Amino acid sequence: MLQCLIQGILLGGLYAIIGIGMSMVFGIMGLTNLAHGDLMILGTYITMLLVTSYNVPILLAVLIAVIVMAVIGFLMQNFLVNRVLDKGAEPALLVTFGVSIFLSNVILKIFSADYKSIPNSLASTNVVSTASFSISGIYLFSFIVGLVVIVALSYIMQKTNFGRSIRATSSDTMAAELMGVNTKRAYSYAMIIAMVTAAIAGALVGSTFTFNPASGTSYLIIAFGVVVIGGMGSLPGTLLGGVVLGVAQLLGGYFFGSGVQMLIAYIVLLVILAIRPNGLLASAARK
Amino acid sequence: MKQLTKKSPYGIMIAIAILVVLCVIPAFGSTYALSILTLIFIYMTMGQMWNLMGGYAGLLSLGMQAFIGIGGYCLAVFSVNYGVNIYLAILMGAVFSVLFGLAVSPALFKMTGVYFAIGSWVVAEALLIAFSNWKFVRYAQGIGISTVYQLSGTQVYYTALALGVVAVLVVLCLMRSKTGLALMAIRDNTGAAEVMGVPIYKTKIKCYMIACFFMGLAGGVMYMVQGYIVPSAGFSIQWTVAMTFMVIIGGSGTMEGPIIGAVLYVLLTQYLYNFPGWSMILLGAIAVVVILIAPRGVMGTLHEKTGFEILSSRRNLY
Repeated sequence: MLQCLIQGILLGGLYAIIGIGMSMVFGIMGLTNLAHGDLMILGTYITMLLVTSYNVPILLAVLIAVIVMAVIGFLMQNFLVNRVLDKGAEPALLVTFGVSIFLSNVILKIFSADYKSIPNSLASTNVVSTASFSISGIYLFSFIVGLVVIVALSYIMQKTNFGRSIRATSSDTMAAELMGVNTKRAYSYAMIIAMVTAAIAGALVGSTFTFNPASGTSYLIIAFGVVVIGGMGSLPGTLLGGVVLGVAQLLGGYFFGSGVQMLIAYIVLLVILAIRPNGLLASAARK
Repeated sequence: MKQLTKKSPYGIMIAIAILVVLCVIPAFGSTYALSILTLIFIYMTMGQMWNLMGGYAGLLSLGMQAFIGIGGYCLAVFSVNYGVNIYLAILMGAVFSVLFGLAVSPALFKMTGVYFAIGSWVVAEALLIAFSNWKFVRYAQGIGISTVYQLSGTQVYYTALALGVVAVLVVLCLMRSKTGLALMAIRDNTGAAEVMGVPIYKTKIKCYMIACFFMGLAGGVMYMVQGYIVPSAGFSIQWTVAMTFMVIIGGSGTMEGPIIGAVLYVLLTQYLYNFPGWSMILLGAIAVVVILIAPRGVMGTLHEKTGFEILSSRRNLY
């Protein structure tokens, strides 16, 4: 029980970093990126490929994955999403849906449907081990990385000129343009940041769990859950959303068996959505 | 406008001619051709219903596979376990789909836009897990629908044809009725529609229920063809992928769009059957390209350029 709670909270940190890119993209350009999960899994596969086939040290592999994903994010935003964003939410949503199907099937084609994992030393070590609970190294590490990324992103968004231009774009596109902000450029930067976080999240997910090309879909739902529970566009909210979902999942597994743990998490998500259709911290996000 | 309305009698004649041809095809068509057409009718039904929700009512749903699965499982459970007549079992699947839709609608309809889209997807995923852990439906092992094995291809063909025709007629009649006007008003400007006295919640629910009913039917008929159901296939997001792409490529918000989309979808997937994996990659790419260069799809673009349409849901102005 205690074990589940602690592990659930730590898992929440990992979920938060999965969702944060999606949250940012939604907060800034009102786009729900349905390809987020698959893009993240693409990051996982890039890291895995470098580590297992080319013996690249894992940190360097993650760095390369981050760069590749940033480029992909820029290209996708520039050549696909930016072109339909003016036509309303629906075409943009469907474009990302198309990208999602395309990507997951390309990954399937290249890497086959087998479950894979990224070998690392943290996954099997316990940092804390007592009679009632133990903390796995990779869970703790993921949680810390999640916290660092959220704090860093909040700082960038609040305190730097770059962050201000992005926030200006999200609150009033026309006014931002009149003030000399290149809004399409701001969107591209936002997508690049989102993809950087997705690549990091992908590496963490790949080190923690096994994955296959279809995993993107389930992580998209987790990302979405995290984002809507916390309120779309709210950075601190994503951490709250991640923790709620992580704890719900593990407690659900504890009480009802691990087969249905995601079912419990989904039901919690639906109940929260039904009661607060715009998320728990939505009013804060709307500012 | 004048040009459009004058064409409508020809439209009806063309539609009837196509229908007559489809009715006599089993007399001389090959088994393979029949099975292709059967698939086209079923996918067309799904496309029409997805279009009714996404294209006309503005209810973009990514979770309609929930009802395909329910329809398929009802056929399997009722006809195999309880010996119910196949057609009755399919109908029961549609009824159960409506009941399930009603049960989740209070929660789902609080959400709008993107939240609705993904909320409904989460519902479908939850069903997938629930069915995979349910002893009654043999967990993830699935059920072989042995009762449908003795059906002939022609019988299945006529079932699918009837389903497709009824689905098209229902959507057409609905769009020409007052509800159709209300739906388009809601889609184009929800606030204005509400001020003008359109009952938004009621109209959307009505639309959703009709879609649930036909999705359940389509699921039942689809599993009449497939003969074996497992949760991961019955509740797969692939159904929604198919529906979405049919409507996007054919043209959302048009009657003919889903029909053309279904033909293209089935032919493409059949043609690429020997190159596993490629059909989905290609479909994803085609959908993105269509949204970028012809956002109104084949039919929308054709109509824009030439004024061509067969089944008009528009009213005559002159």
